[in-house]
Amino acid sequence: MRWHIDGDMFAAYQRGDLTPSRMMAVDTHLQACATCRAAVPQDPGWLDASWSAITEMLDTPRPRPAERLLTLVGVPHHRVRILVATPALRWSWLGATVSVLAFGIAAALAGQSGAHMTLLLYLVFAPILPVLAVATVYGPPVDPMHEITSVTPVAGPALVLWRSSAVVGLSVVIGMLGAAFVPGPGWWAVAWLLPALLLCVSTLALATVLPLIRAAAVFGGAWLVVVGGAAVAGSPVRPLMFGPLAQAGYLAAAVVAGVVLSARRRRLDPGEMR
Amino acid sequence: MTTVSMRGLTKRYGGTTAIADLTARIGVGVTGFLGPNGAGKTTLLRCLATALAPDSGRLVAYGLDTAVAAERTALRRRLGYLPQDPGLYPNFKTAELLDYVAVLKELTDTGRRRAEVRRVLAEVGLTDRATVRVRKLSGGMRQRLALAQALLGDPELLILDEPTVGLDPEQRMLFRALVSRLGHTRTVLLSTHQTEDVGALCERVLVMRAGGIVFDGTPGELAAQAEGRVWVSAEPPSDAHVYWRNADGRYRTLGPRPIGGEPGLLSIEDGYLTLLGAEAAAAGSGDAERVS
Amino acid sequence: MRGKRRAPVPPVTEQSSDGDLLRAIAAAQRDALQLLHRRHAGWLRFRLSGRCADHDVVDAALQDTFVAIWRNAHTYRETSAEPAAWIWTIAVRRLVSALRGPGHRWLGGPVPLSDVPEEQLALVPSAEDLVLLHVEHGELGTALDRLPSELRAVIQVTAVDGLTVKEAARYLGLPEGTAKTRLMRARARLRELLT
Repeated sequence: MRWHIDGDMFAAYQRGDLTPSRMMAVDTHLQACATCRAAVPQDPGWLDASWSAITEMLDTPRPRPAERLLTLVGVPHHRVRILVATPALRWSWLGATVSVLAFGIAAALAGQSGAHMTLLLYLVFAPILPVLAVATVYGPPVDPMHEITSVTPVAGPALVLWRSSAVVGLSVVIGMLGAAFVPGPGWWAVAWLLPALLLCVSTLALATVLPLIRAAAVFGGAWLVVVGGAAVAGSPVRPLMFGPLAQAGYLAAAVVAGVVLSARRRRLDPGEMR
Repeated sequence: MTTVSMRGLTKRYGGTTAIADLTARIGVGVTGFLGPNGAGKTTLLRCLATALAPDSGRLVAYGLDTAVAAERTALRRRLGYLPQDPGLYPNFKTAELLDYVAVLKELTDTGRRRAEVRRVLAEVGLTDRATVRVRKLSGGMRQRLALAQALLGDPELLILDEPTVGLDPEQRMLFRALVSRLGHTRTVLLSTHQTEDVGALCERVLVMRAGGIVFDGTPGELAAQAEGRVWVSAEPPSDAHVYWRNADGRYRTLGPRPIGGEPGLLSIEDGYLTLLGAEAAAAGSGDAERVS
Repeated sequence: MRGKRRAPVPPVTEQSSDGDLLRAIAAAQRDALQLLHRRHAGWLRFRLSGRCADHDVVDAALQDTFVAIWRNAHTYRETSAEPAAWIWTIAVRRLVSALRGPGHRWLGGPVPLSDVPEEQLALVPSAEDLVLLHVEHGELGTALDRLPSELRAVIQVTAVDGLTVKEAARYLGLPEGTAKTRLMRARARLRELLT
């Protein structure tokens, strides 16, 4: 190195008093000369503050895509953390939901003989999946950290409802995405959503009387018996159970169940303290 | 000052009684629960932590009755609990897990919550592990992380079930320093198998056996239970005794005095074993062959 | 006891080279990052302050820089760039990012220098040319001073700061084509002035 930056030049650089070429020369020289880099005037207090800010950033977990999305939509950060950490939201559940939906869509697209049966199976089973997830949002068998979460102040009804919202919300998103793949009106790709919503809300409403898992079994079982039975009996299941009239009925019933749930939510018994 | 009081606390599982009619008052400071496996320590601590509802009896902590839902929630805002099996989510990163528990503990302000997470990470010496996933932590680190989550929010009531399991001697020392500092102003309840932990930390020891409390006193008083039962002798005692050779080549006996035995120094362990009658059980009908 | 992402890296000291520090950082050694910070934060702040008068923005960009180094140290290849140059490129990108705000986060992670097309590097005097430039009597220096400021700005952000033409265009708020044209004009003028 033929030259080094002296104190005057550092000061002039900071004041902006150097000619453009000398500014550039200082810049490039600094990049190449470790001696001059070390000679840059330092402020130890600033250095420490900068380092502690960096460690703080490193220790802060980076938000996952789902968290960023929810934050963008305006959900407060602490709620986002609860929603995305829902233990029932496992890959196995997601996989089941997506594949059931994919079967239905594939059947509709193929439109061949046998497709009718696949479609029927899909419409019968798709609404059960969110109920299964709701049944397992809370409690020791599915939540390994239940012993810790169950003694926090949000434990109980609040946590059950938040986690159930996460499950139902994700089901709706998946259903909507599925509908986008279907040609035509695609109404039946989302036809399972209202029954699913009704089953989930009713399950939670019944969980104010029965333990959550049993409540889920009651409604999940009832759905399978009624719709499955109708299918086996050869009734026209699609128009009967998923037609506009039936959908309006599901919506109305879901609203009623929602009112019951909201009135009785403090009695929601997730099986805690047993 | 009493902070936690229980009266007639009972819990059964099917036909077996885990804890039976427990009555005690506990105050600020470190209180240790000692007892063999199955004595009911974990059941009692789970009741105290509001993880488990007792079948009968009353449990009041900081003036809050755990049988009343609203008061139970209020108590949960003031307690930290390290369960025996924390079940920490393996896919979470250390800081992320603490952040999540902090949210559940209603630390809703993001800035405050992050500061609190950093504080507890530093308390347990895991600062440089903040971004490591739980499944990659060693057993000792996981135990420290589980302890860290109990410390979130600086609770007034700390319930620690076997907190020193998996800790190496250095970490155990740091743990003792932390807990004894907290014990100045907080109610710390811990269960352990380690009699040294009790001697080093606790102002008060409760010894449990078969669901009941069989001793309640200071560690010194517990050691004194072995008064007249600890002996050292130059010759090995008869086979009727349980004895071992000390580093100084002499033989130490817990139980009836062997021939040529002189009184030895009492330890908490001696007191504990005497209390449980463990030496009698091990030595069979030792009393019948007592030589004095 | 330390991170185990790859083969064990020897412990770092004050004497470790920047390359060693970056390797240790790639192995998740927090002390290595702290040493690197102590060594480089000062001059980075000094240079960044020459480009932005707002201290808060500079400090935030600098913090982002070291976080990015922590996460991307494994992408550093000793053969492609001097550590100091690599670090500076990250820093200046973070500064531009901070100035453009979160809505304009067009700068992702650090782009390795090898990703910059050859012809762009050939367009401008290299950083080494500029280093060798004699501050007092350099011909290149005089030539640079005599360049119109808008042409010099393009040289500054490409040759000195190491941004690609595309990034330079956005930094200067120009269409990419304009930036490219200006860079070619600057190059031509310099050649003219130097001969």
